[in-house]
Amino acid sequence: MKLRRTRLYVPGNNPHLVENVGLYEADCLILDLEDSVPIDQKFDARIMVKYALQHVDFGASEKWVRINSMDTPFWSKDLEEVIPYVQVVNVPKVESYEELDKLSEKMHEIEEKHGVEPRKIVPIIETLRGLVNAREIAKHERVVAMAWGGEDLTAELGIPKSKALILEHVRAEIVIAAKSQGKMALDTVYSNIRDEEGLFEYAKRAKYMGFDGVGVLHPNQIEIVHKAFKPDDKEIEDARKIVEAAEKAMQEGKGVIALNGRMIDKPVLERAKKILAFAEVD
Amino acid sequence: MVEAGTHEKGDAWVLIEPSERREVIVKSKLERLYGNAIRETIESMTSNIKAKIVVEDYGALDWVLRARVESALRKYRGEQQ
Repeated sequence: MKLRRTRLYVPGNNPHLVENVGLYEADCLILDLEDSVPIDQKFDARIMVKYALQHVDFGASEKWVRINSMDTPFWSKDLEEVIPYVQVVNVPKVESYEELDKLSEKMHEIEEKHGVEPRKIVPIIETLRGLVNAREIAKHERVVAMAWGGEDLTAELGIPKSKALILEHVRAEIVIAAKSQGKMALDTVYSNIRDEEGLFEYAKRAKYMGFDGVGVLHPNQIEIVHKAFKPDDKEIEDARKIVEAAEKAMQEGKGVIALNGRMIDKPVLERAKKILAFAEVD
Repeated sequence: MVEAGTHEKGDAWVLIEPSERREVIVKSKLERLYGNAIRETIESMTSNIKAKIVVEDYGALDWVLRARVESALRKYRGEQQ
């Protein structure tokens, strides 16, 4: 099972920061072409990112690129450079299924040209319109996870992000939209990079909200988030017993899995497998 | 005249401007160690253009230098941002 507990944002036009990304052991690494790159550096950045994807050792981390949003003139040029080498395209400010279809069409064209497999998409929901359409957006075949961001959304409502009660609803809606389609749900970043305790609590809360991971801005945040997403010993032990019972039932050709006289149904088995994946034991 | 890259650590800054004759100028604190390698990279990517090419190296790895040279070259050939 692919884990996406952490996704580290790295500015795409800063080779010094990009060089060692593989050492950090984030589940996903995002080379950013959007917010961290000034307008007059967009051209240089997408070429830098193209080279980085080919020459930097990403270790076991999944290779992501956050392209510019589709209301800018940059998104299709970003795709032209990165599609041959990237694994996941992170798309900001997605507002509709149709928008993703347009993006997917362009991706298909480039994939055909370079003879590469279809790339995955993780849309970022950042506006009220995007939120309203989130359940449709999650249905797109390329989408493997749903992410969100609160800045634009709270600006639209005219309320400060730090006091926005509505964001709890937004979080829940992202989880529901993603999980109802069998996709992952990814929480936004915890921006105070010095507050380790706060980050741990934030990541725990994200986990119990139903999220599969959170965004990180600094390598020091990675280990803390992984710790927060790690199940406790009892959860791991229970999960291991369930998976073992399932394996035993399969070997014996039994259609029904039983443990201590109780039947184990499919969702329980799936949850047990997920817990073991998060515990990093197979 | 076009330029690419930055003056930050680990990066390279590249300038290309039209000129009557081809000229390559490399400035690097590591000139003694890497000057030839830097020149080889620039040569392999730009040998077909007659221009003044200035590269300031701030400890860039070869792939970073290549990215910056490609960026400058594409702008020099008229590609839009």
